[in-house]
Amino acid sequence: MSTDDLNQVLLHPDRRFGADLDTWLVDIGGDGLESAIQNREEILPTIHKANLLGLGGSGFPTHVKWEFVANEPSDQDKYLICNGNEDEPGTFKDRILLQETPHQVIEGAMITALATGTNQIVFYINPEQEGSLEAMKEATNQWSETDYVSQISELLGRPLEFYIVASSGHYIGGEETAAIESIEGKFPFPRGKPPYPAQTGLFGLPTLINNVETMANVSHIIRNGSDWFINLGHGESHGTKIFSLSGDVLRPGAYELPMGTPLSNLIYEHGGGMLLDRKLKAVFTGGPSNTILTPKDLDVPLDFESVQQRRSSLGTGAMIVISEGTGIVRRVTEYVSFFANSSCGQCPSCKTGTFYASQLLTRIDSGNGNRADLDTLINLTRILPGSGRCHLLDGAMKLLDSSLYHFMEEYEQPLKHS
Amino acid sequence: MIDRANIGTTYREALKRYRPRDERPLPEPGIDDEKLLNKFHPDHIAESLTTLKVGINRGDPCHRQLADLLQSDSRINEADLAGAATVETDVLVIGGGGAGCTAALIAQQQGARVILATKLRLGDSNTVMAEGGIQASINKDDSPQFHYNDTIKAGHHQSVPDLVSQLVLDGPDVIRWLIQQGMQFDLDEFGDLLTRRAGGTSADRICFYRDYTGLEMMRVLREAVHNSNIDVWDYCPTVELLGDDLGGCSGAVISSLKNRKYIQVNAKAVIIATGGIGRMHLNGFPTSNHFGATGDGLILAYRMGAALRDLDSFQYHPTGLAHPFHLAGSLITEGVRSCGTYLLNSKGERFVDELSARDIVAASVIRECREGRGIVTDDNNCGVWLDIPGLELRQPGILQQRFPKLMRLGEKAEIDLTKKPLLIYPTLHYQNGGVVINENCETSIPGLFCTGEVTGGIHGRNRIMGNALLEIISFGRKAGMAAAQRRKKKRSSQLSIEHLNQLRRELTNMGLSMETEGPLLFPEYAKFDLDSDYAGLRRNRGSTS
Amino acid sequence: MSDSKKEVQVTINGKQICVPSTLSVIQALWHAGYPRVQGVGCLEGVCGSCRVLVRRSDTQEVSMEMGCQTLVEEGMEVMFLVFPSPSQHTYTLEQIPNSWEVQTEFHKIFPEAQQCRNCHGCSVACPKGISVEKGVELAVKGRFKEAGDLFVECIMCDLCMTGCPEQIAPNRVGLFSRRVTAYFHARPSNLINRLEKIRTGELQIIKE
Repeated sequence: MSTDDLNQVLLHPDRRFGADLDTWLVDIGGDGLESAIQNREEILPTIHKANLLGLGGSGFPTHVKWEFVANEPSDQDKYLICNGNEDEPGTFKDRILLQETPHQVIEGAMITALATGTNQIVFYINPEQEGSLEAMKEATNQWSETDYVSQISELLGRPLEFYIVASSGHYIGGEETAAIESIEGKFPFPRGKPPYPAQTGLFGLPTLINNVETMANVSHIIRNGSDWFINLGHGESHGTKIFSLSGDVLRPGAYELPMGTPLSNLIYEHGGGMLLDRKLKAVFTGGPSNTILTPKDLDVPLDFESVQQRRSSLGTGAMIVISEGTGIVRRVTEYVSFFANSSCGQCPSCKTGTFYASQLLTRIDSGNGNRADLDTLINLTRILPGSGRCHLLDGAMKLLDSSLYHFMEEYEQPLKHS
Repeated sequence: MIDRANIGTTYREALKRYRPRDERPLPEPGIDDEKLLNKFHPDHIAESLTTLKVGINRGDPCHRQLADLLQSDSRINEADLAGAATVETDVLVIGGGGAGCTAALIAQQQGARVILATKLRLGDSNTVMAEGGIQASINKDDSPQFHYNDTIKAGHHQSVPDLVSQLVLDGPDVIRWLIQQGMQFDLDEFGDLLTRRAGGTSADRICFYRDYTGLEMMRVLREAVHNSNIDVWDYCPTVELLGDDLGGCSGAVISSLKNRKYIQVNAKAVIIATGGIGRMHLNGFPTSNHFGATGDGLILAYRMGAALRDLDSFQYHPTGLAHPFHLAGSLITEGVRSCGTYLLNSKGERFVDELSARDIVAASVIRECREGRGIVTDDNNCGVWLDIPGLELRQPGILQQRFPKLMRLGEKAEIDLTKKPLLIYPTLHYQNGGVVINENCETSIPGLFCTGEVTGGIHGRNRIMGNALLEIISFGRKAGMAAAQRRKKKRSSQLSIEHLNQLRRELTNMGLSMETEGPLLFPEYAKFDLDSDYAGLRRNRGSTS
Repeated sequence: MSDSKKEVQVTINGKQICVPSTLSVIQALWHAGYPRVQGVGCLEGVCGSCRVLVRRSDTQEVSMEMGCQTLVEEGMEVMFLVFPSPSQHTYTLEQIPNSWEVQTEFHKIFPEAQQCRNCHGCSVACPKGISVEKGVELAVKGRFKEAGDLFVECIMCDLCMTGCPEQIAPNRVGLFSRRVTAYFHARPSNLINRLEKIRTGELQIIKE
C-alpha cells in the first residue's frame, strides 16, 4: 500500500489550516512567490517544462493558455479568473482547496499574475460554498496588507486587485465564457468562440481562466522546480491530481494522488475497497459527462491521456463508483436530468434534446418504456452531439451513449413487451 | 388514381406563357350545371358506386371504398375484452376536434363526468385546418332566413329543414360562445365583426380570423378542455362500441396506442365526433383532410345499428394544391376566391364563375383538365391556375394583410404569389352525409349521439363554406347538453359486443369476405397494421379462425 | 431528367432510406415502407404534431421543424420528437373577475414568466418564426393584446416550452394573452344586435 503517495502537496495535512496567512508564511508559503518576483521571466518556462495541465477537466497545457494572455498588449487591465464554480455531481475538490488552503490558491494566482501580466484577479466561487467564500475573503484581505501586493503592482505597472465573486450557482456557469458573463453581472450564458477570452474576455479585456486546483499547484512548482513536479507523477505523467471518490466504496473522500495512479489503487487501497465487498460494476468519471469506465478498466492509470485512451476522460477527477446491484439506468437518468435542468436554454437542441432524453429515460427506468423509446434514445445520441454552443449537450450524450454501449441489457430488461 | 387526366400543357410551358392581368372576362360555360356534375363530378363515377348489402341501410347507394369498410369485420373479439381494464364514466366523447371538444366542455359544465378519447392528440383534426371562416348571419342586410335558403339551395334541397333551421338561428350565439372561450375574430375599426361572402351564398356572412379561423378556434377549445376536469385520453382510437340488453349504446372499446392495451369504457352516453373520411382517398383523390380522417365513426355507428344517409355524396374542394408534390392536396381557402381570385386554364382563360357552389367549381376544374386545357406537372399532376397575382394587382396588399397562411404556403412551395399563380386541382374535402341525427344529436340508438362531420342531413349533398365550423360548435353544444342529461339515468348492467355477432352473421349470409377489418383508424400508407409496436392490438383470432 | 426522379439518401429515426427529393420527411418514411402513426397530424403545418430534429449534411447544427413541411435533402438526418405537453399551468377565464385583474391573475397563473433570462431559446426553437420571447416580455408587462398578436401563427407545438430553462410555457402565455383579449374586449355591436333580435323572436325561419 503506497500511503506515502497520498496528499503529498495540495492536501498535505500540515497545510490545511484555513485563512491564516502568518502560519502559511512561516512554513513554505511565500517562497514560490518571492522566487517569482526575483525571476519573473522564469515563471512561464518553468510551468512549461513542468507541463502543468488544466485540472478543471480540460487537461489543456496551462502554459499555452498563459502565453496567449501574456502576449496581449500590457497597456490595459488584464483579468485572471480563478474558477471555483464546481457544481457537477460527484466533484468536491475545489471547495476543500478554497476553504482549507486559500493561501495556496492565492499565492498561485499571484505568481500567475506576474507571469501573464494580469492585474485583476477574480476568484469565482459557487455561492453554496459559504465556507470557501468566507475563507477567501479573509485570506485575500490578509494578502492585501502585505508588501507582496505593492511589489507585484509595481512590477506589473498597474495595481494588483483581488475580487471575490459568488457565481450564480448554475452548473453552466463553470464554462469559461459563461463565467465571464456571470462576473459581468449577466446570466451565465456560454458565448460563442471566437472571440476567445484571451483576447476579448471579461469586460472586453484579455482574460485568463484557470481552475482552482491548477492555481494551487503553481507556487509549489516555482518553489521546487519543474523536475520535482515531473517526478511526482507515475510514469509519463506529471504532478498530482485530487480525486473526488464517491459512491459504493468504504471510504469516500478527496484523495490527492500522483497523476497516473491506477484506478484500482484509488478504489481498493485509498477508498478501502467496495462497500459490503460488492463487485465493482462501473465508474462514472466526472462530473459525469464522460464515457463510463468498467471493471476491465481498473488498471487504467488515472491521467488525462491514459483515460482518454479508454475513450473516457479524467474530467475533474470525480470518480463515482457503482457496485453490482445498482441500476445504471436509474443513475444515467439522474445525471441526464441534471444536465437537462442545467442546460441554459440558448441552444434549443440542447435544452429540448436533454429534456426529451431524460423523459425517455424516466419512462424506461420506471418500466413504462418500449422498444421505440429505446431506439429514440439511441438516435438522440447520434443526432445531437456537436449541435450545442458549449459541451453540456455533448457530455450528456457521451454519458448516455456509453451507458447504452456497456449496459444495453439493463435498458432492454424493463421494456414493455407488446 | 383513376380520375386524373394527364393531357395538357406542361407546367413549365404554361408558366412561361402566364402573364398577370387584372381583368379577365368570364366566357359562357357551354354546359348546364346538371350535365356538368353528372359528367365530371367524382360522385358520379359509376364504377365507384355500389349498394350496401348488410345493415340498416341495406339497398342504399354508397361509395365502394366506404361500403367495403361498413361491411368489414371488427378489429376485436370477445377474447380481446377478457383482459381489458374497465373504466366508468357518464359521457364518453370519441374524437378530439372542434365538435368533440365542444361537446365535452358542455357536458362537463352540466355536471357530467367526461372522458374524451382521441385517436391522435387533442386538437389533431380537420377543425385546426379550416381556414375560411364560420357562417353566422349578423349583418343588417342578412338574416337567418337567407342563411337557411342558401344552405338548402347549395345542398340541392336534400337537407333536413329542422336541422338547418336550428343551425342558422344558433349562428350568432355560437360566435358569442366562441368569444367567451377567448377566440378572436377579425374586427373592423369600430370593433364590429368583419364578414366575407362564401361561394354560392347571397350575403357576406363568413366571420373569420385571418385565414387561421380553424387554428384559432381549435387552440382556444383545446386550452379550455385542458384546463377543465375532462379526462383526455390521447392516442386512444376507439375500435368498437358497446351495446346493452336494451338495444342501446353503453360505452366503447378503446385501444391505447401508448400501453398497447384495450380499455373498456362503460358510459351512460357516447358521443361520436370523429369527423370525416378524406384519408380514405376516395377515387384516389388527394385530400385536404387531417391524417386521422378515416371515417371511423361511421363504421362504429353503423355496426351498432344507427342509420346513415347520403353515403355517395362527398365534397371535393375546388382548390387543392397540385404542385409542388410534397404539399399536394393542401387546401387553399375559398376565402381567396371570395375576394375575387380567378381560375384560369392553360390558355389563360376563365371557365367558371369562381363563386359558384363548390361542386360546380370542382367539376369545372376537372372538366378543363379532362378536356386538355389543364396544366401537367413533372409528377404527372394536372390542374389549373389560381390567379393570385391578378388578385394582388386588383387589390394591392391584400395577400399580406388577409392571407398570412397562404403566403406561408407560397414560401414553402417557393412560389412568389405576387408574380406566379398556384396550380390547383380539387381535393377530397368533406363528407356531406353521415349518421342520421335529430336536433339533439340523438341517433336511432339510445345513448348514442353524433355531432360534426360524422353526421348527415345538415348539408344535404353539398356544403357551403363556413357551415362546417358553425355545425361543429352548434351541434357540439347540443350533443354535450343532451348526453349530459343521461348522467342521472341508470346504465344497463348487461354490456356486450353481441352486435358484432349479428354483423358477422349478416356478412356470412351475404357471402361477403371478412378479410378487411374496420374501422380503418389510419390511412393505408401509415402501415399501422404492420407496425410491430402495436402487435398487441391485433385481433385475437383464436375464437374465429 | 425531371426533378421528381432525383433520389436522395436520408436517415430518419436511424433508418437510412433512399427517396425522391420531392417528398416531405413524413412522406419519405411512408414511401420507404416504414410505419408512422404517432407524431402525424394535419400534414399542413398547423397542428404541431410532427416535430422533428433535423441535421443537414453541411452543418453540426440541429434545428427543430415540422416533418410534414420539411423537404428531404441529401444527407439529412431526421428524428421525430413525440412527447406529451409538459405544461403544468391551469386556469379558467372565469377565474378572472374583471379586466382590471388580468395582470394580477396572469402572474398567479404563470409565476415563472417574469423569470425569463432572455436566452432567446424559445424564439430560436419556434418553427413558425414567432418572436416568442418578446411575447412573454409583453405579457409580463400586462400588454396582452400586443403579446397575443405575436402568436397569431402559433400551432402549439410546445417546442418553446421544452426549450425553456425556466419552465415558462411561452405558447400558453401567448394563448392566454389572446384569450383574455377576446374574452374581455371583443364586443361586436353587429353581433350583439343580431343576438337581441333572435332572442326576441323577431327573426324566424320559414322552412321549406
